[in-house]
Amino acid sequence: MTGSTGSEAVIETTMLTKVYPGDVTALDGLTVTVAPGVTGLVGANGAGKSTLIKILLGLIPPTQGQAKVLGRDCQTNAETIRTLLGYMPEHDCLPPDVTATEFVTHLGRMSGLPPTVAKERAAESLRHVGLHEERYRLIGTYSTGMKQRVKLAQALVGDPRLLLLDEPTNGLDPAGRTAMLELIARIGAEFGISIVVASHLLGEIERICDHLVAIEGGRLLRADTITSFTQASQVLAVEVEEGLAQLLRELKARGLTGTTQQDQRILLVPLGGDDTYDLVRDAVADLALPLCRLEQRRHQVEELFRDEEGAAHV
Amino acid sequence: MSETTQATGVIHDLGYRRYDGPRLGRAQIVRALIWHSFRSSWGIGRGVKAKIIPILACIAMLLPALVNAFAVSRGNARLFGYDVYSPQLRVIVITIFIAAQAPELVSRDLRSHVLPLYFSRPIRRGDYPLAKYIALTAALLLLIEVPLLVTYVGTIASAKNGHAVWNETKALIPGLGVGLMWAVLMAAIGLVLASLTGRRAYATGIVAIACFLTWTVSEVLIQAEGGMESTSAGARIAGLFSPFNILDGIRIWLGGTSQGEDANPGHFGPLYGVVGVLLLAACLGGLAARYRKVSRA
Repeated sequence: MTGSTGSEAVIETTMLTKVYPGDVTALDGLTVTVAPGVTGLVGANGAGKSTLIKILLGLIPPTQGQAKVLGRDCQTNAETIRTLLGYMPEHDCLPPDVTATEFVTHLGRMSGLPPTVAKERAAESLRHVGLHEERYRLIGTYSTGMKQRVKLAQALVGDPRLLLLDEPTNGLDPAGRTAMLELIARIGAEFGISIVVASHLLGEIERICDHLVAIEGGRLLRADTITSFTQASQVLAVEVEEGLAQLLRELKARGLTGTTQQDQRILLVPLGGDDTYDLVRDAVADLALPLCRLEQRRHQVEELFRDEEGAAHV
Repeated sequence: MSETTQATGVIHDLGYRRYDGPRLGRAQIVRALIWHSFRSSWGIGRGVKAKIIPILACIAMLLPALVNAFAVSRGNARLFGYDVYSPQLRVIVITIFIAAQAPELVSRDLRSHVLPLYFSRPIRRGDYPLAKYIALTAALLLLIEVPLLVTYVGTIASAKNGHAVWNETKALIPGLGVGLMWAVLMAAIGLVLASLTGRRAYATGIVAIACFLTWTVSEVLIQAEGGMESTSAGARIAGLFSPFNILDGIRIWLGGTSQGEDANPGHFGPLYGVVGVLLLAACLGGLAARYRKVSRA
């Protein structure tokens, strides 16, 4: 019962370029492959995320290059692709004067479901996103969080193989964001639906993704599994009340490198393995320094990008 | 951080169910959208308020037919021709109906930005305006033709013999054709104007003003040129300013037997035909272009 399409790529683009009238380049030779699972599509506003999504939906043609969704070409097979896709737009897209049930049922019909199936699946989708009795209320009376859920439910109603979610946490408060992200993670893990989540908030998206695709200026910055993104970023933070320079020298002698942070009291040591803890402990003990803190930290992926951009190397 | 690296396919206790049953093709989806839009054009599936204008429009349009049935049963002849019905009433009711209901069909979706949800589904970008157009045309047909049929039934109910029934039927058919012409053109005009704005009140205003204003201007010009009895070219072409008078001009040109209220195209009849077709083409083209733009936005 796995809904995964195996190891086959869900999205594949080759030298995808989109130039809007007026010489605005939204995508610039983007070549990327997205595997099944939950994938974060990250980039600043204007990086080309929405343009990529529109090309994948077959709504706009690329200027150059090719895009494939679930093995089908986006230009020649747009209608078939759209039966397999669920799309949650970034902006508000709900009429206020109908109930969520009516609205999602109608869009289920528009996804090609027969009338009774549309009704059943609308009720189920709304339940999956956590709307129960409220679904009989007019959408206009909903909170932002509930509206986001309706948007997700309408993407889910047609039983898609792939969900494209454009900034799904837009406008939500921290608790709402967490709930939405958990919901997305659950859909990806338990419903067997591949998901691409576009977001400009890396720190948020990395919590739920298996893979990460970072684009900037319409170009691929990096695409990899989330673990390989974060592995490189494991560090040990060592805080001593005094003798930081002393400790730094001692660690260097033991073969570790360390960097100090702005406040000059915390030493960051790249975490190689368990022996790194031992080495740091021994060094601190040998120097008899007053140790206040020894903790594992992880760079937010955001910082990684910042470093990479600065250093221009991986 | 997520621990899943692959879709595991675990069935959650809430039980997400896959759908492997039949899926409708594009044509059937469009049909569903037409039906949905047709219902909304009568306020079905909407609140009570949405039903007021369609119901009042129906009652107003049916009144002459009912009066006729009563009059005929008292031994009078049929009160009006099927091809004109009650011309001024028809103009007013149709204008109010499309001014209220065309925005219901298109402006709401524009206002709430629902269109990306339609265009991300397996229909093409022209399908949406096409469905809306067919739905409104069908609604207008119902509004125009049902009173004609009631008139017909009311008249033949008092018919003395089969010959009289046959004559009534022969008179009815061109009337139904005129009704079709009205529905086809007025639905296109109503939708293209309503689709200009997502604000419903504005859309209603635009449609109402466009219909009434052009009609009034056309009437004034006709009167200024000596009325419809006048044979001056000015009076003959003044009808071209209003879609309603264009429709009436085409009717007369095509051999409409009843005396019209206003326009009399004379030998400019073919011009009315050409302008009518061009107007329809322009409205439909405008509607298609409007949604091509929206789907890219």
